[in-house]
Amino acid sequence: MTEVTSRDVTPPDSTVLRTGGLSWLFPRRGALAVAVLVPLLLVLIALAVLASSTGMSLSQTLSGLLGTGDAGTVMIVRDFRLPRIFVGLMVGAALGIAGCLTQTLAGNRLATPDLVGVNEGATAAVVASAAGSATGMVGDWWLGPLGAVAAAVLVVLCAGGAGAAGYRVLVVGIGVSTFIGAVSDLIMSRENDNTAGGVFLWAVGSLNGRDWNVGTPLLIALLFLVPLSLAAGHRLQLLRFDDDMAASLGVDLRRIRSAALALAVALAGTAVGVGGPIAFVALAAPILAQRLAGPTRVPVLGSALTGVALIAAADALGRVVAPVELPVGVVTSVLGGPFLLWVLFRPDRTTGKA
Amino acid sequence: MRAIDRAGSGRPLPSETRPVLLATAGLVLLLPALALLSLLIGTGSSSVGGAWDYLVGDPAARADAQLRLAVMDVRLPRTLAAVLVGACLGTAGCLLQAATRNPLAETGLLGVNSGAAFAVVLGLTYFGASSSAALMVWALLGGMTASAVVLLLAASGRAAGSPLRLVLVGSALGATFHGLTSYVLLGTRSTYDTYRYWTIGSLAGVETAGLLPLLPLAALGLLVALGSARPLSALGLGDDIARSLGHHPGRIRLIVAGAVSLLVGCAVAVAGPIAFLGLLAPYAARALTGARMAPQLVLSALIAADVMILADILARIVIRPWETPVSVLLAFVGGPLLVWIARSSRLSTAGAAA
Repeated sequence: MTEVTSRDVTPPDSTVLRTGGLSWLFPRRGALAVAVLVPLLLVLIALAVLASSTGMSLSQTLSGLLGTGDAGTVMIVRDFRLPRIFVGLMVGAALGIAGCLTQTLAGNRLATPDLVGVNEGATAAVVASAAGSATGMVGDWWLGPLGAVAAAVLVVLCAGGAGAAGYRVLVVGIGVSTFIGAVSDLIMSRENDNTAGGVFLWAVGSLNGRDWNVGTPLLIALLFLVPLSLAAGHRLQLLRFDDDMAASLGVDLRRIRSAALALAVALAGTAVGVGGPIAFVALAAPILAQRLAGPTRVPVLGSALTGVALIAAADALGRVVAPVELPVGVVTSVLGGPFLLWVLFRPDRTTGKA
Repeated sequence: MRAIDRAGSGRPLPSETRPVLLATAGLVLLLPALALLSLLIGTGSSSVGGAWDYLVGDPAARADAQLRLAVMDVRLPRTLAAVLVGACLGTAGCLLQAATRNPLAETGLLGVNSGAAFAVVLGLTYFGASSSAALMVWALLGGMTASAVVLLLAASGRAAGSPLRLVLVGSALGATFHGLTSYVLLGTRSTYDTYRYWTIGSLAGVETAGLLPLLPLAALGLLVALGSARPLSALGLGDDIARSLGHHPGRIRLIVAGAVSLLVGCAVAVAGPIAFLGLLAPYAARALTGARMAPQLVLSALIAADVMILADILARIVIRPWETPVSVLLAFVGGPLLVWIARSSRLSTAGAAA
């Protein structure tokens, strides 16, 4: 029997910090990644605040931001642009974390939250609200998150729990989403052009018109969900071993899986409900964060930050690249595809894996 | 391992062969029966009895121009189209699931659907395409181009031709095409209106003249599919064993993916993007045949063709006098069916076999 020292069991990219009886594995690489991401984020957010689709000059934007400009400019910057960017950032964080949790649960890099039906659920709620109203207008914002979460709960109930490695949830998710999607399609095909156009604008993933009425409840929801997700991510680290190993380490697998799935559903449901199905952030953010954090971790925080960065960049780009303002969902899906390919095709030098 | 055992000839057939033969015979017999029903039943003033008289050659019915129109010009092409689309989608789904070793792989993954959608929108917006024949040409060109790009990318660089790479490239480019489609649609309301009827997937309005040019393409795809049954069986044993048996896994996957694009391209051109059949038919076939590829391919094609005719007949009668889009009907029936399959114990074996 050789003695196991703390050096042997410490992952190569971590340092053990000890104070008395407490010890903490400090992930050096992950911390470095966060240290790089945060300043990058601040730059992107600043760009998103300054980018303008209306030809407003930089000094005008600044005067609006500081409250020294004329009333119209102040209103545009403070009441329209700031809350919208704020909502976008939170949506990005929620999508990033939800993607990270689902990918870890399913053990599959392609497993995104929309597989549990959040997109179709939110769309169905929005479609139903538009079809049900006399004016054909899309209803209150909270219908989206409500529909998304309802669909996801339906999926999980139909699947009878998280199941082995979440596999059954994914299959059931495809079935239920197809069903709900068909209902929406059917309603939409009977609606007039105006209603269909309104729903289409929502369904490409747009942050247009999201204000503090949306931002405040969203912030409160995230203040609950994000810390819980960080804790769940820490526990999920153990699922990287096989099930027997994790069980022998004293982990209640069922409970962790169910909790992580519930968190993913709540986060993705809220994000999709508010911003529409913004493509790609939930898929790409965890993959990028994993690249940054190294192969041994579940990068919950990194995914959140990467998601925020992606949305901030896409929102800023959408307001300057084209003559018309592009919804953020269009930008993420057009640019996200090639970008993800570039990431995947470049060999990761640190792990040697493609 | 059964594939290897059976290579020694002269042994009695395995006991599961009987039910497979019975199922095949049943499905083959069902096909003309359903086709007959499809010719007899329809919307409009032509009665079932009248259509029957026309088919058996009653001179009075033959003289009726309206009956001739209903049976020969409307229902006959639809029936042929249903068989073509069903056989193509079933075979393609089966091929794709075997080649990616993923029982959930769906034919939309190769970018065929999103490429076709983008091309249709381009044709509608910038080239004034509006007839169903013109849309078919655009859809076929778009689908084939998109999948060619996906195949080229998946075949280049390191890890070329691996299943995960194929799927990742497909979904990444699919998202990009989807974003580009949204971008074009955002600017043009009138295009969106035509597009939303195309994208819902229906066999209404199919004409024989439009179908004929697609037949050689579909036939080529089906032949390649049957020819790749043996190498795909070898692939099912794992890449290393397949290699030791003298196969080239990467090359097989590319050939198969090419056949899939051809088949799905034809199907999308005729009926628009029809989800689900390509996922479910192979699932059902696998439940009957186990891991053997050749019967699996034949059964997938037969099941999908039967289901497609049945769905198209139902589409004409469920909300008479209007028509339901056939894809919506498939989703209504298929969604719950997939949930049921996922919950039955069969899933674990079906999942493991693929």
